[in-house]
Amino acid sequence: MHTLVFEHVTKRYGKDVVVDDVSFSVKPGRVTGFLGPNGAGKSTAMKVLLGLAAPTSGAATIGGQRYRELPDPARTVGVVLEPNAFHPGRGGRDHLRVLADGMRVPTRRVDELLDLVGLTHAANRKVRAYSLGMRQRLSIAAALLAEPTVLVLDEPGNGLDPQGIRWLRDLLRQRAAAGNTVFVSSHLLAEVEHLADDVVVINRGKLVTAGELAALQYAGVTVRTPRADALAGLLTAAGATVATAPDGGLTVRGMTATDIGEAACVAGVPLHELSAHSGSLEELFLTWTDDHAPALTPQPREAMPV
Amino acid sequence: MTSWLRVLRAEVRKLTTTRMPWAFLGVLVVLAVLNGVAVVAGTDMDGSKKFISTAADQQSLMAFANNAMMGAALFGAIAAAREYAHATVVPTYLIEPRRHRALLAQLAAVMLGGAVLSTIGAGLIVAAVALTLPTTDYGFLVSAGGVAQVVGASALAGAAGAALGVGLGTLVRNVGGAVTATFLLLMVLPPLVIQLANDAASWVPAALTGVISGVTSDIATPAAVVALVGWGAVPVLVGLVALRRRDVV
Repeated sequence: MHTLVFEHVTKRYGKDVVVDDVSFSVKPGRVTGFLGPNGAGKSTAMKVLLGLAAPTSGAATIGGQRYRELPDPARTVGVVLEPNAFHPGRGGRDHLRVLADGMRVPTRRVDELLDLVGLTHAANRKVRAYSLGMRQRLSIAAALLAEPTVLVLDEPGNGLDPQGIRWLRDLLRQRAAAGNTVFVSSHLLAEVEHLADDVVVINRGKLVTAGELAALQYAGVTVRTPRADALAGLLTAAGATVATAPDGGLTVRGMTATDIGEAACVAGVPLHELSAHSGSLEELFLTWTDDHAPALTPQPREAMPV
Repeated sequence: MTSWLRVLRAEVRKLTTTRMPWAFLGVLVVLAVLNGVAVVAGTDMDGSKKFISTAADQQSLMAFANNAMMGAALFGAIAAAREYAHATVVPTYLIEPRRHRALLAQLAAVMLGGAVLSTIGAGLIVAAVALTLPTTDYGFLVSAGGVAQVVGASALAGAAGAALGVGLGTLVRNVGGAVTATFLLLMVLPPLVIQLANDAASWVPAALTGVISGVTSDIATPAAVVALVGWGAVPVLVGLVALRRRDVV
């Protein structure tokens, strides 16, 4: 059982801060979705975790050890990172055999994996003749080759058809249920919503929020009132974080619906709606990563202490 | 099997599961055929065949080490740089995060490949010359020791060239750039250096490979061997330093 821990990880390239003092943990036995817009720093953070990029400061560890300190890292951590990390002139089976040689995995395991990902029929075909989905399946086969207990997957669903996505989801859920650590970045928010137990969101290199997905989705309260400004000021003074939607509605975090109702009553502010907010992941994601929106307090972050 | 030997095995499999070695082998066959054609159809300026009239002449014709070094350097440069071009270096460093060990495994595999290809190339040329000499007035005059020296020199030059190529490929990380750098280092730089310092003429690859092939004797053979190894080792060391410092992105 390996917990992944990012502790104040910062990565700079020249003056660009790609990952900025990011701290969070990824627990075993759960699927953790890693979300962020393009260029948010997800892949760089994963590369820091895997020892491919050196952090400017901070540390990322796997079960308390840096990747390169693990006794047999490739047998511990299965990785999908680069979308096309294949020699185009090498066959799919040979690609896996190269990796199997390095990982001390018996050759028969290669054929088992080819069968698992549905590539047996194309095993001897050059990778240049593979579709995007087939390449992605080959990447996933490579990640599973040594039966690792940790999976770090960067956009593993790219190019997969709906059946493939479903298969991947079931696979990752099974892995997590078996106690493995599954850390997966994805742009497919609907898929993450189905798949992930926890999410970590970064934007422009900074951690936006991290926690149990269900808690995050139900963490807000929607309030409608003709005196939105007054109520927003009141609630903000009381310690809540208030975001105003374009239609004038307020999304309040950090206070329960009961507390908001009582505060409004005491102040004589009429309420037209007061409801626990259960936004879709997509809605929440857009809010979290909207650079113009007021920052929301990442309340549920405490659910995943470092 | 130790982890390093596992990585070495993976590196050997990388080389043997693409067409690149076969392409180089094809070039070697062409070169051998050209040597055979030269024996059959080539003449000196005066129309004679003096260029194959003595054992020394024939050994000089068969001396393949300089070409072996150039070819193996290209082989090594492409093998190393394409790892970055295709991002296959990422799984390599995930399997062996201690990068110097991964590079040394690749270096050993590519040097082995360079030496094997060069030995085959030298063997093909010796065979081509031996097979075509009966069409002339001269027999095969080179001693077994001379043949062994030609083949051995090719193997050594091939290994050194492959190392040089791996160093440049690791440093440049781009196939076109690595090939260009190899040409510059082996073809363009030596004449320029000789222009600036005439004493350096004995230490450029063409002169060194001539010495170890038994064709020239500008310097002592052991010194030539050491210098040739140096031509391969210096780029590897520079590549190793760069590799340890930079991120794999």
